[in-house]
Amino acid sequence: QNSTTLQPLESTIPDSDRFRDSKPLKLTCPSCQHFFPFGGIQSSNNYQITHSGIRCLSCQFVLPPLSVSAQLESFLRTQISQYYAGWLHCDDCGITTRQVSVYGRRCIGISGKAYGCKGIMRYLYSDKALYNQLLYLQSCFDVDKAKKRALKPLYEEFSGDVSADDKENKPSVMSQGELDALVEQNRSLFEVYQGVVDNYLEDCGRRYVDMGGIFGFMSAFEK
Amino acid sequence: MTTTIETQIITRFGPKANETDILKKCGELMNIFGLSAEDLFLKWESYVITTSTVDNELQLSLPSLNKFQEFLQMKLIKSNQKTPSSNAKRPVMRTTPNMNIIPSTPMSSMKKRRLEAPGLRSADTSYTNGGDSSPVAPSPSATPSKQTESGKILETLNAHITPSNSISQAKLKLFANFNPQKYKFRTMNQKLLEVADYLDEQIDATAKVLLNHYKFEASDFGNPNVQSQTEILTVGRIVPDSPLTPYDADLNPNSLFLETSRSGGIGQRVQLNISSIENFSFFPGQIACFKGINSTGEFFKASKSYPIPYLGSPVSSLSDLNTYHQDLAGDNMKVVITSGPYTTQNDLSYDLLSRFVDKMNNEVRPNTLIMFGPFLDVTHPSIQSGNLSFDTDKTPTTLTEVFKFVITPILKRLTCQVILLPSTKDATSKHAAYPQDSFDRKHLGLPKNVKCFPNPATFQLNEVLIGCSNNDIFKDLKDVNGGQKMKQSRFDRVAEHVLEQRRYYPVFPGGLKQKKTKSLIAENDTGVLEHVSGADLHVPYMGLTEFNESLPDVLVIPSELKFFCKIIKNVLIINPGSFVKMNAPGSYCLMNLVPPKVEDLSKADDVDDVYLHNVWKRARVDIIKA
Repeated sequence: QNSTTLQPLESTIPDSDRFRDSKPLKLTCPSCQHFFPFGGIQSSNNYQITHSGIRCLSCQFVLPPLSVSAQLESFLRTQISQYYAGWLHCDDCGITTRQVSVYGRRCIGISGKAYGCKGIMRYLYSDKALYNQLLYLQSCFDVDKAKKRALKPLYEEFSGDVSADDKENKPSVMSQGELDALVEQNRSLFEVYQGVVDNYLEDCGRRYVDMGGIFGFMSAFEK
Repeated sequence: MTTTIETQIITRFGPKANETDILKKCGELMNIFGLSAEDLFLKWESYVITTSTVDNELQLSLPSLNKFQEFLQMKLIKSNQKTPSSNAKRPVMRTTPNMNIIPSTPMSSMKKRRLEAPGLRSADTSYTNGGDSSPVAPSPSATPSKQTESGKILETLNAHITPSNSISQAKLKLFANFNPQKYKFRTMNQKLLEVADYLDEQIDATAKVLLNHYKFEASDFGNPNVQSQTEILTVGRIVPDSPLTPYDADLNPNSLFLETSRSGGIGQRVQLNISSIENFSFFPGQIACFKGINSTGEFFKASKSYPIPYLGSPVSSLSDLNTYHQDLAGDNMKVVITSGPYTTQNDLSYDLLSRFVDKMNNEVRPNTLIMFGPFLDVTHPSIQSGNLSFDTDKTPTTLTEVFKFVITPILKRLTCQVILLPSTKDATSKHAAYPQDSFDRKHLGLPKNVKCFPNPATFQLNEVLIGCSNNDIFKDLKDVNGGQKMKQSRFDRVAEHVLEQRRYYPVFPGGLKQKKTKSLIAENDTGVLEHVSGADLHVPYMGLTEFNESLPDVLVIPSELKFFCKIIKNVLIINPGSFVKMNAPGSYCLMNLVPPKVEDLSKADDVDDVYLHNVWKRARVDIIKA
């Protein structure tokens, strides 16, 4: 993406678009090992939100809060670690590597000699993608978004996360009354989960405007 | 099931309710709000009383039930708003003895499961072991034969020094040689250009050191990428010959390139021919200096390599040393070092750690205990699968609370001075990058004798300068070697590299741990590489991982590999080994340091009255079975 072209403000984009590339949080039921994607308070064939938490539909076990938050945190940290693996991709010759040239964006090229290829290197897992991934996980536990039905849908037309079989058996949509009740019943529990994500969002540098970068030219006057 | 619910409703609400619409709605309301038929009826009664007027009594009908639902919803919101601060407290649900499908709270469902249906549990026993065994009772999982071996000395360095059995608990003076504020940078915003700036700066800074040390002329340096007829000097980074080389590939002497800095050779890379160098050990990320010639323009033929000079050893003044001697009253200084993980791969039981704490308090009584993470490993199988429970007074809902409710009470019992260093795998650390910020002591409820240090950290215990880094360089550094270097132990070579490169983690790109998952299609056996963990280097801040002005007296870098203690360049190098190795008790390290006596020390400088510490001569190091 070219930073000079005008783009709509990120926060005005609906979640289904903004989180298009975000990976879904997948939970394992500790009781029956059923492994399923979790998308917040919405209807699913795999789990059901009850007044007491998330219930696995294959064995009717309600996932304990610690189980959910541990899996959430584990998933989050894998994403952060993957980001820090620092894979780079050249937009011209297409090589993927973790080597970094002393010029950063210069492609090392297939020859390994750092000249010849005019392509530009970029992080495969960008900080924007990671930031969106964190926001997506936070939105999964956002009860107010669930109430407005503004979550990224689990059963999208082109979503690759669900098998073809699941696409045909879309679960019936929750009634607003049921949704409203579940939202209030799960509010404090989901706030705990959100707190787990928030801890990392607080440390995420992308969230903060780098004043030094913008006003750096003024430092000349200070000296 | 449905019939019983329907009959329940009819018994409560009377025959009027015997209509499919109403029964359905009532059943729905019970489900949504988690009420039993009786509770629903009681709520309905109170609703009827509060809303009915004298001339118009509310009848049981579908529209009125819909209004009733709104009323319940409002009440729910109000009850939430009343206690907005009490996050930990979940809204209390009425107990529902009649309903077997929906357990009243998740906790009680767990207990129920444990009591009633052992068959539903997963095959591994982690469920019971983690929760049911009390800390006092010996854990049944640990095999007795292993337990009896606990305390056995596995390896000793400087065995001629006798360990002290005294129980003096003198407090050591602790000085931090780092600025904790500098570790508080924000993660997850690594800029490629800043990474490149640091990598470039590294080469030029080392070139300056070499220039001063070997008294080179600046004009001797040249660009190794271009053809020339005379020998030149060059400084660069060792890199593999192809960007596609996997990070863990075994390189060979013919697959190395040398990367130049922006000023040294506009960042280009040239093939390195080291056939004339006899003894060598090179690894990706190493900064190296060569004399050689590029006669064809194709490759740089190195004729000689110049090692980076070692930093000096730290020194202390006589008066300081005397004070330390008096503080200890002639006793040995005892330091114990442990490294995570502290639990087995099967369960998350901290029994072994708890026994260790008792042993420290009652038997060993060290002056200082240095503990490396991970305390709660985010890659632990039980955490990844969410299959964990703890038998504590307060039920933890997050991993941070697990630390607070399970680990903190154990660490709190320690009476000596404690230093905690995190690992990038620690679930409790929100700063998941290396260099890593310290744990938040207050937030974790740790007492004042526990100090939380960043990773890496250099600090002084009395006169002894200790360098600690919790990133497994011994596993991640893979070198190409030949000649005399090949005969050396690999640990020796790696330790030498760390000291020579003057940084705790000189490998670039950092290590990576991946796991091969078989693809879902059985015939296709290629599998997908899935990321597990890594060195997680935040490169623009790697300056924090460099040695400051001198070598440390003691260098502690825990590794997954086998424990060891050795002396390299008069530096005591220690890997205490993991406290728990896979599923068996691992090891920890005990250092006994004879107090400094001026007769034993060597004078460093004739002008100032300062002395070398000679810790490597005065320290006895035992690796002990946990």
